[in-house]
Order: sequence, then C-alpha cells, then structure tokens
Amino acid sequence: MRTEMIKRRSQLLRAMRNFFDAKGYLEVDTPSLSPDLIPEPTIQNFETTFSNEFVGSRNLYLIPSPEVFMKRLIADGSGSIYQFCHCFRNDEQIGENHNPEFTMLEYYTVGFDEQDSIPLTEELVATSSPKDADQAVLPPFRRITMKEAMWEYAHVDLDACQKQSALAEECRKHGLMAPTSPESWEETFNRLFLTLVEPNLPQDKPLVLDRYPAQIDCLAKRDGAYRKRWEMYMKGVEIANCYDEERDVETVRAYYEKEYARLVAERAKSGQAIPDVDPAFADIFAHFPQTSGVAMGIDRLLMVQSGAHQLGDLILFPFSAMLSSGKKTN
Amino acid sequence: MSMKAGQIDKGTALLVKGQPYVVVEREFVNPGKGSAFVRIKMKSPTTGQTLSDTIKTQDTVEDISVEDRDCQYLYQDGELFHFQNTTTFEEVTCPMTTFPDYQYLMKEGDTYRCTFWEDELLDIQIPSKVVYTVAEAEEAVRGDTVTGTTKNAVTDTGLKVRVPIFIKAGEKIRVNTETKEYLERVND
Repeated sequence: MRTEMIKRRSQLLRAMRNFFDAKGYLEVDTPSLSPDLIPEPTIQNFETTFSNEFVGSRNLYLIPSPEVFMKRLIADGSGSIYQFCHCFRNDEQIGENHNPEFTMLEYYTVGFDEQDSIPLTEELVATSSPKDADQAVLPPFRRITMKEAMWEYAHVDLDACQKQSALAEECRKHGLMAPTSPESWEETFNRLFLTLVEPNLPQDKPLVLDRYPAQIDCLAKRDGAYRKRWEMYMKGVEIANCYDEERDVETVRAYYEKEYARLVAERAKSGQAIPDVDPAFADIFAHFPQTSGVAMGIDRLLMVQSGAHQLGDLILFPFSAMLSSGKKTN
Repeated sequence: MSMKAGQIDKGTALLVKGQPYVVVEREFVNPGKGSAFVRIKMKSPTTGQTLSDTIKTQDTVEDISVEDRDCQYLYQDGELFHFQNTTTFEEVTCPMTTFPDYQYLMKEGDTYRCTFWEDELLDIQIPSKVVYTVAEAEEAVRGDTVTGTTKNAVTDTGLKVRVPIFIKAGEKIRVNTETKEYLERVND
C-alpha cells in the first residue's frame, strides 16, 4: 500500500509538471516562512520566531497558501506560474479530509478569467488521472451555479435572500436549530448550504459549483450579488478553489483593512496568533495583469483518485501519527 | 444542561424542540471562508425520525444527561419490546419501530446495556459481534457457480444472513450485527 502511494504521488506530480511545462508556465518556488500573510480570520496560523543574538528577533508565519508570494511575482511580470508547496493551517480538525500540513498546487494563468480556468482544470485532471480512475473523478465536469444549487436542493431563492433575516427565515422553515449567538449573512448561508445542499450535490462526475455569493468576501472579482469564484468537488470532497483575481488597488486595500480588523478582534479574545500584514500589498495591483488563480489540494485529489477514504492513507507521514508520538507539551 | 456544539460526538443525546435525539453522525466542516461548523445527523429514539443540522462550533446546544442500565430482554408482542431492569426489576417497554430489525438481533433472556433519559429508553446497545445458532440453512446446490460460495440461512432469532455453503442447521456462527454479515463458524 505504502509503496503504491509513493508511486501514485510521484506520477501525479510528474504528470502535472509536464502539463504546465508544455503550456509554457514557469514553476516557482516561494518561501514557507513569511513575515506577513493575507488576513484570513478563519484560518489559524502557525507562528514561529527567528532569533539571533546580534540581529534581533522577528515573528514569522508558516504560509496557509503561497498566494501572498505568487501574486507579487505576477505583479513583477512573471507571466503564468505554478507551484507545488506545503501549506499549514493550525487548529484544523485532524480527520478524513484534513491534515494541518498539506500539499497544495497553485496555478495562475495570466490573461484568463475563472471560466477559462474550468477547461484548463479539466485538461489537467484528465492528463494526471491514473489509468484505474473511475468516472467520478474524470472530466467532463458537471457545472452548476450556487444560485441553481440552492434552489434545487434547499428551495431557497438566493436573489430574494440578500438580507440575513430572509435567510434565517429559510433556516426556520427547514427546521434547523436556532443559533445561540448573532450570525452574519455568511454564517446563516453556510448553515443552509452545509445542511441541505452540499451533502446532496451529485457525485457521479466532478462538480464545479460556480459563482459564490458576494457576501462571502474574498479576493475574487465581484459580479453583482455574486463573485467570480468556483469550487470543484469530487465525490463530495472540495478539491479546488478558483478566482478571477481582484486587481483593483482600492478594493484590495479595503478588503485587507476590513479582514485584518476582524481577525484582530476575533483573536484578541482567543489569544491565537495574529499575523502581520503588509500595508503596501495592495499597491502591487497597480500593475497586475488580468489573471485567474486555482488552488488544488493534492492530497485530497490523490485520495479520491485512488478510492481511499481518508487522507491518512495518502499522506506518507500523517500528522495524527506525529501527535501521538514523541514528547508532548502542555 | 448546555454544551458547545464543537463538543458534540457520536452518541451525544441532545434535546431539540423538547424531544430527545441521539447523534448518529458528526463531521466538522470548515468552509474555505467562514466560521467552523459541526454537521450532524440525529435520530429520535421515540419516532425513529432523523434530523440533519449544521451548527457553529461556538454555539451552544442543549444536551441531556443519560444513564446506562442493564435490562433483560423478555419478549416482543409485535408492537413493543418488553425488558426488565435487572436492578429494580421494573418492566420497560419501547416501540419496536424505533429499533428496526432488533427483534432478529436480540435473544430472549439476554441482558443488554440500555441508555435512558429519565425513564425513556434511548438506545439498546447490541455487541458488534454476536454468536447465533443457525435454525435453517439452504441445501448447497452442487455445481452452482452463479451464486458463488454462499447460501441463505436463518438464525434462531430469525435473522437472515448469507453463509458459506459448508454451514449446516444447528451450527453456531458469529455475525457482525451492524452489517448483518457472517464472520465465522464457531465451534463449541
């Protein structure tokens, strides 16, 4: 089993590198330690300290995604780039679909929007699938918009539920428990989506769930009440996330300020690491080309391609084994 | 009593709109952007009805304190299972529809750990592997390669199970009570 997984992982990485190299993308290699991160209040970070007697010390963070570096390269004129790297998310549930350290593939295509990234991703998945892969992990992808999915599986008209109170009423109608703390639009949406929609999405083919609600704030371009963002699922597992990358300096700056304020407010209570942000990051978008970026979980892809049911079968040295071995600190 | 939704586990008993439910499935979900949630499936022991819900892990839910008591299974009358609490000797009943197929899994006279909320029976704990006596077994058909190497059998409790062709009536077999699949022959 283990040698089989070593081979599968090696073949997948090789096939994907060949795919991008043939298309003229540059493979890049950016740091795992960063002095600043993109503020994402819901992703907990690993914090460490560089210290030197003469130079002093500085807090550094293990990256939750290479976005913060790759976007700087694109602004510098790199053209289309890709990278396989290890990403780190603290305080994640350790389970079937999660490992605090995981392998991510990120690819940014200059000149593309998020719709162009769908056939590109289909081609990537097709060329890197093992011979024994079943139909549920092979292209073509099914496509459905979030608005269609919410109507189909929860009978919720998203256009008519732009207010949190309207969504909360839908939760009541569906008999969900009443929340015991105030909720944002996004949280109420997630309760509906996660209870009624996500578990019922078809799994016979990979599925692109397109156009997320604009209220779920992120660095994907806005288009009316929605965002130019999709997620791809295989066998019910989230595999990839794609944006038409926001490149308006003021929009990025406003996002940074709002999300950072939220992050500080939330973590002040819990005492978790508050990563620094680079106040000048938004300035890189003054010269940023039209780009679509995709982040793909490689361990999860290997898991669904090989018919395994948990990441521990795929990750050669799973975190759960590390937790239960060696010295413990409290 | 109340607890954080993040502490819910399989088997946790919750009070939802005044009715007791037992959590049968639990999964943490952390959407790419947003708070952490716990997605659960619950079952009502009184009606058998299942409910799905998703709750913020930081929200509170009402849980109920439950207690395990040993009860001897006496008989079923087509509608109710009848037990006797082995400590207090009180009779305990519950609708058979709440525990489908349990009449084929439980043996009259045997004692089971039962979970109670006050006087209401929420769960009957059946061991995951149980030895049953085969009451009837089909004759193995010579040269029959279509159905492979198994045949139908019925245990003394009425449980239908596929067994290997060498199993005969009167023999004892160990069965996985969750999947209702034959595991092995048991020799006395």
